[in-house]
Amino acid sequence: MSWITLDKIKKLQEQFDFVQINESDKGFHSVEVPKENFKQFVQFLKEDPDYRFKMFIDWTIVDHGQKADPRFQGVLILFSPEYKERIIVKTWATDETLPTLTDIWAGAKWAEREAWDMFGIKFEGHQNLVRMFMWETYPYHPLRKDFPLKGYEEVELPSLNEKERMDQLEGLQNYSRMHTALPTLEDLEITQKKRMPNKKSQVVLNWGPLHPGTHGTIWFLFDMEGEYVQECDIIIGQLHRGVEKLAENLNVQQIIPYTDRMDYIASMNENHSVCVAAEKLLGIHEKIPEKAKYIRTMLAELSRINSHLLWLGTYALDLGALTMFLYTFREREKIMDIFEGITGARFTINYFRVGGVYADLPYGALDAIEHFIKDFPTRLNDYETLLTRNRIWLRRNIDVGIITEEDVYSYGLTGAVARASGVPYDLRIIDKYDAYGEVEFDVPVGEKGDSYDRYLVRIEEMKQSARIVQQCIEKLRKMSKNDPFFFEPEDKKMKITIDGRGTKLFKGEVYAGADNPRGELGVYIFMPKDGIKPHRFRLRSGAFYNLQIFPKLMVGRPIADAITILSTIDPVVGETDR
Amino acid sequence: MGIKKVGLNRNVQPQTLTEKIFFLDFMKGLKTTIKHLFRKVITVDFPFELVEPAPRFRGVHGLRNVDGTEKEDFDAWVKKLKIKPPEMGETRCIACKFCQAACPVPEIFIIKAEKLDVPEDHPHHGLKVLSQFDMDLSKCMFCGLCTLACPTVCIIHTDVYDLSSYTRRGWVLNKETLSKIADDFIARRGKEKYDEKSHWPDWQKIWDDSDTARAKAWDNNPPKLGPNYADQQ
Repeated sequence: MSWITLDKIKKLQEQFDFVQINESDKGFHSVEVPKENFKQFVQFLKEDPDYRFKMFIDWTIVDHGQKADPRFQGVLILFSPEYKERIIVKTWATDETLPTLTDIWAGAKWAEREAWDMFGIKFEGHQNLVRMFMWETYPYHPLRKDFPLKGYEEVELPSLNEKERMDQLEGLQNYSRMHTALPTLEDLEITQKKRMPNKKSQVVLNWGPLHPGTHGTIWFLFDMEGEYVQECDIIIGQLHRGVEKLAENLNVQQIIPYTDRMDYIASMNENHSVCVAAEKLLGIHEKIPEKAKYIRTMLAELSRINSHLLWLGTYALDLGALTMFLYTFREREKIMDIFEGITGARFTINYFRVGGVYADLPYGALDAIEHFIKDFPTRLNDYETLLTRNRIWLRRNIDVGIITEEDVYSYGLTGAVARASGVPYDLRIIDKYDAYGEVEFDVPVGEKGDSYDRYLVRIEEMKQSARIVQQCIEKLRKMSKNDPFFFEPEDKKMKITIDGRGTKLFKGEVYAGADNPRGELGVYIFMPKDGIKPHRFRLRSGAFYNLQIFPKLMVGRPIADAITILSTIDPVVGETDR
Repeated sequence: MGIKKVGLNRNVQPQTLTEKIFFLDFMKGLKTTIKHLFRKVITVDFPFELVEPAPRFRGVHGLRNVDGTEKEDFDAWVKKLKIKPPEMGETRCIACKFCQAACPVPEIFIIKAEKLDVPEDHPHHGLKVLSQFDMDLSKCMFCGLCTLACPTVCIIHTDVYDLSSYTRRGWVLNKETLSKIADDFIARRGKEKYDEKSHWPDWQKIWDDSDTARAKAWDNNPPKLGPNYADQQ
């Protein structure tokens, strides 16, 4: 497992006497440091040649409830690319403040803004601590434990009610007239001004929130000098639904359908992350039936192909190649058909469960997948002849939006974006969850880190995914129809059900995840005691952190490059906003 | 398991001079486009042509009635929950509210059971009967957890997917509507989905392979369905 060993933590304790160790029997040991020494300590972790935790993964807050004092705890997750290890460093946020980490890792910028927005923690030294998802005049911090799940219903919105021919839905299932706070136009103007406090030139170009090129509701602000961008900022949160808050009030199997709605293009992979994390917390990940492991690996890779096909189609469409969109959607249609047949839904799938999958493959499923996979390479070849060496394509992509290796570490970029910059960071290899340890595949790695490399990496990933699917089919063919597809616990204390009723999580904490088409979706679950509902359910979204580098890449580039860079970063707003 | 380097000059060669002068890259691209000009149409002509949803498709819910294909433990459940033993054609629902418990949005359901108003010497004295079962499908995610929780395979997903309505009221379905949807679905496609004990059989197909519309979407070359596993027929 890719976690720092206890010996190494003990060595840390010898060096710094303030370090406290929280041991866990599942291999995830965390370190607790006082707030005063926190910055010095993480700086040491980043620079010391024995540790080299230079990759930023996540930086978030846990609320221990109103009665606890101190109430908030900061949780920092780091990765060491040299030793392939992770570490969790915690510190108490006394007085509801924490030192900023933005000067050590640039990626902490948005993480801290999110923590301020959701928990009201002030970060001392942050350049522009504004809200991340909500508008600037919003008065609450919704992820605090004292904020009710339904919110404070303050605005009257009678239009939602049934009014047709004075025909009221009697009492029960009608909508309430009251609604939680909504932003007005003035609120939005204040928000926009706060995000870009010192504009340099005369024109600020607004791109979005509803523009076909943004593939969702992202609002970009470009401070323009002629055709060139001087400064750029992003306002997200238009699709913020508070999945983390909802998750704190559900059992773990019920959270899975909500994650479908996050990255709705690769919902299978989102489900996978939650399953892997919860299984690791329960300590059953290694005991999942072989059949379920292979089915999950196979479908996750099919879903990756599906997601990359949509990316390829829309990316080419944005750069002016319309036919690509039609070709890739033809292939997607087949994958969707397969998903529909196996899982029951084409888009929001909810097939994986903590403990396996909810049903065995139906008759003919493997044949359909095999049929698709046999045909797929020739189709991919068609796409490549259209694009890869086309001169327009080369001109629009080469040397556009170069991400260096240093950027990857300091911004915490993951997925194809990191791999295109020459960082072979792939959870499938590092964690070897499910059947990834048993199948053969290569991790494509780019050289330069420009848009063209990101394109090539994703094309190659599709080929490798097809390879994995083929191997999974061969393995599944040899299994028996009576093999189990769901984990049956022997331990009496553990209860896992397919429908989720009564599924319990154990005390402890875990950070685990899966490699999604858009980067690492990590799930951090914190449980102070055994129970059904997770106390803190943090979703570390790959797309969120990947999008963060966009303003940096845009500086000094012409406005036309915004499309290329955004498309190759490939965020999905459902996942960035959660 | 290894690392594969990609990039210009690695696995992709830059354009040669001949390619640049004679526009060979455009020619190649056009070849692909022209090739597609002579292929058959793959677009399904909705709504004149319909793809039949897969048997597992999670569409609008239905409430199944007693039709002799109940699970073995059905009578035991009825007894346990003190429900009046249903006759042929009456609902299978035993008002256990497991669906509501499994649902991520429990406000969807309003389930009520009433005690029968019968004299004391009547055999049904003290037993209950389902009086209300409302579902507000505008709040539903179609995740399928309720159908998995149902001990009597009463609440099911059908293949109906057109849910449009002029008012929000149209999405609130009551017991009678849900029963009608289920009856209709079982009559049409019940044999594809359930075996004689209301379980999902292992011969349940991924989709109906005689569906011509689906074959069209598969490029007129649909897969031939066969068994998955070594010991499956």
